[in-house]
Amino acid sequence: MRKPIQIALLLIVLTLIATACAAPTPAPAPTQPPAPAPTKAPVAEPTKAPVAAPTIAPTQPPAAKPTEVPKVVDIELWAQATSTQAPAPPDDWVGYKTIREKLNINLKYVIIPTGADGETKINAAAAANALPDFFQAVSTTNARNKLIDLNKQGLIAPVDDLLKLMPNRVKTHYNDPSSLALAKLDGKQMGFVEAPNLPKREGLVIRKDWLDKLGLKMPTTIDELFIVAKAFTEKDPDGNGKNDTYGLGGFFDGTWGQGNRFAFFFGAYGVPDLWDWDNTANFGLSVRNPNFYRALVEFRKWNEAKVIDPDWATINRDEFRIRWPQGRYGIMWEDFCALACVANYPKFDNNFPTGEWVSLPAMKSNSGKSYLNNYGSVGAFFAVSKKAADAGKGPAIAKLLEWFASPEGYYLMGFGVEGVNYKVDKNGAVTTDGLADATKAWNHESMARFTQMRNQLIYDNNPNEVLARYPDFVTDKSKKPMSPMAFYKFFSGQPWQDSTAGNLIVNPANRADLQRFYNENFQAFALGTKPLTEASWAEFLKALDDRLNAAKWETDTRKILQDAGALKK
Amino acid sequence: MFRSSREDWGFQFLINGFLLIVLILILIPLWRVIMTSLTPLDVYMRGGTPLIQMPWEWSFAAYDQMLTHPSFPRATLNSIIITVCGTALSLFLTVPLAYALSSRTLPGRKIIIALILFTFLFHVGLIPTYLLVAKTLSWTNNLLAIIVPPAVGVTNVLVMMRFFEGIPEEIKESARIDGANDLQILWGIVLPLSKPILLTIGLFYAVHYWNEFFTPILYLNDQNLQPLPVLLRNILIGQNFSEYVDYDVSRAASIESLKSAAVLLTMLPMVLVYPWIQRYFTKGTLLGGVKE
Repeated sequence: MRKPIQIALLLIVLTLIATACAAPTPAPAPTQPPAPAPTKAPVAEPTKAPVAAPTIAPTQPPAAKPTEVPKVVDIELWAQATSTQAPAPPDDWVGYKTIREKLNINLKYVIIPTGADGETKINAAAAANALPDFFQAVSTTNARNKLIDLNKQGLIAPVDDLLKLMPNRVKTHYNDPSSLALAKLDGKQMGFVEAPNLPKREGLVIRKDWLDKLGLKMPTTIDELFIVAKAFTEKDPDGNGKNDTYGLGGFFDGTWGQGNRFAFFFGAYGVPDLWDWDNTANFGLSVRNPNFYRALVEFRKWNEAKVIDPDWATINRDEFRIRWPQGRYGIMWEDFCALACVANYPKFDNNFPTGEWVSLPAMKSNSGKSYLNNYGSVGAFFAVSKKAADAGKGPAIAKLLEWFASPEGYYLMGFGVEGVNYKVDKNGAVTTDGLADATKAWNHESMARFTQMRNQLIYDNNPNEVLARYPDFVTDKSKKPMSPMAFYKFFSGQPWQDSTAGNLIVNPANRADLQRFYNENFQAFALGTKPLTEASWAEFLKALDDRLNAAKWETDTRKILQDAGALKK
Repeated sequence: MFRSSREDWGFQFLINGFLLIVLILILIPLWRVIMTSLTPLDVYMRGGTPLIQMPWEWSFAAYDQMLTHPSFPRATLNSIIITVCGTALSLFLTVPLAYALSSRTLPGRKIIIALILFTFLFHVGLIPTYLLVAKTLSWTNNLLAIIVPPAVGVTNVLVMMRFFEGIPEEIKESARIDGANDLQILWGIVLPLSKPILLTIGLFYAVHYWNEFFTPILYLNDQNLQPLPVLLRNILIGQNFSEYVDYDVSRAASIESLKSAAVLLTMLPMVLVYPWIQRYFTKGTLLGGVKE
């Protein structure tokens, strides 16, 4: 009796393995022959998102010519998601349907992970010569370097001819020649550089309610800022009777030296970046500039006076963003949206309804030119695989990108279906006012899956778009009107040092060692664990050259920048 | 006699005291993770996680955010399929292999063991595996890519082999005299005597498959196939990009609460299974390691 049961169990397990493993393989292979569009379009379920509605913006001109040969091209696109926590668009998404019907393209959109996992996925596919047709070249260090690597391996194709097929997109997305030049390798355009996610979006802010309480003036220089920071640390600005506040809060972001969070400090001395961009005659690392040493001396003074949260060298961004809404800091460097957007500001407002952050201008010092920070961010790098180009898919990719930049594609991919997910007001701005169902609004969390490509391939930072993305609001607790864009406008209007050409710089082979040595010494000087004198500083600079060959990196970098025309010879 | 009892008592006291300290060291972080997952956002933003929080103050917002995610049911189902099928396949392959290798009369036994050990010492790299799975076998977007490559674990084979070697040869011999072949001996005699090792090794495999994270990222492009660990990672990473949140997200839980809830949700199935097979667990690993 037992034996048949055991045999039956074994058979069940084996069947289970066979069926369960084989069943969930619905995704079509990229090269499979496409089915005719009408039979592939699924029926929209009533519970599905509204973007499954069969109609789209009716006023848009058709992208494909009616006389075109209806040959459907399969395009596999790999890109990161705008909202990683949201799923990918469903198979019956109106976006796929429209692209198939209007462009004769069978788009397969694959979301790749952020960080090192995404890079490994690209690397593995590259090693197997299995890169998708069109993909985002992701890297944890430098996306341009990834493009260079793939180009060396002969895995990507030039796109010069494709640019000519997308005149509209060139105007809206590829209108910055210096950005586009970053993907020019060996004289050929080997990829597209998309628009960055709003440049110059971070800035320096201060607690105005603390300033008022202590009767202090708004600081404009590093010296004045120190006086304010000291008062914020020592004079109990929140009035809770505890010594629990710091003048300045921040953290080290893992880059170089002062990182991004304290770059404003060095910006006051004209050297906010790793590289000394103002010194075109003798371009090199900022540490060579005497102003950097002066800034470091001042920064050390702040640390010794304990007006900076002493944990800055060890905490991470998450911890920092727990601390400032707890009222620990009076001055900080923060992203405008992380500070003032509706998803973030209420954490602070709930704790301190009378609290108020205001923007600070770029601090000045006695060292001449001052900057709020440096800016050099570029958007995502995209490339066409050689395999796709050889298969003649280039023009279809160009057609798809051009459609993304057309009114029809831009609104559908960036905001959803007009009338359901968004409306356009009389000024041409996207709004969610007056929608029949507010939970279907394009910026509702549940709708994020339908606009997953927006930050990577769709948005171009036009004023109406930015206004739609970062709307004003009134806080629940204090009923305070908040305008994230007011912060952004102030920040971006400050003097910033242009370091866009920094994207051309190629990391040296010993980057990890060099960076570790640089950062360890910077923090030792800043935190006071190592004497900071002109002699010890000179010794550090000498060690950079003697032990880590920094001077050669500078020479190589100068040549790269000169060859690219970013630096005068 | 009295002295001996006092020594015993002292020894027991020391042992129990030591174990108590170990238990506390384990429980404190676990307790903190539980509390963090239950701390309401406003409490957390005021002062972090309190050590003790009354049950009526608990917030399940982090669990709610995880469990009500539209992809959660599908991801959980995928993880269950991967774990159940993977464990079944692993045992199905490991048991006969270990049984055959446990037989000292197997021709070329040492060479086979050496070959198996070779794969243990010199692990094949990512790219060759990718080429085999994605290109040769075309298992992209197929759960077989997650289940089959790690189906036979060398350590597990060796532990199971040692266990089978511990079963008295006389029992198998008597079965042979009664006319049983090797398959019948394995099925009718060895396996019923091997419940501890089957459950132990089964648990090892199940934990591996349940936590499988990297290979799904590599081979499963279709998000409908992603297992639970990948989904939880995506949710957590999404919370990290708060400066790019331009949609009206209802944030009811802190990122730390979400992380803690993710940790607890992921370990829950294994925590539930473990007590059920605990009594076999020690026996299984010990018997596998002891050879008379």
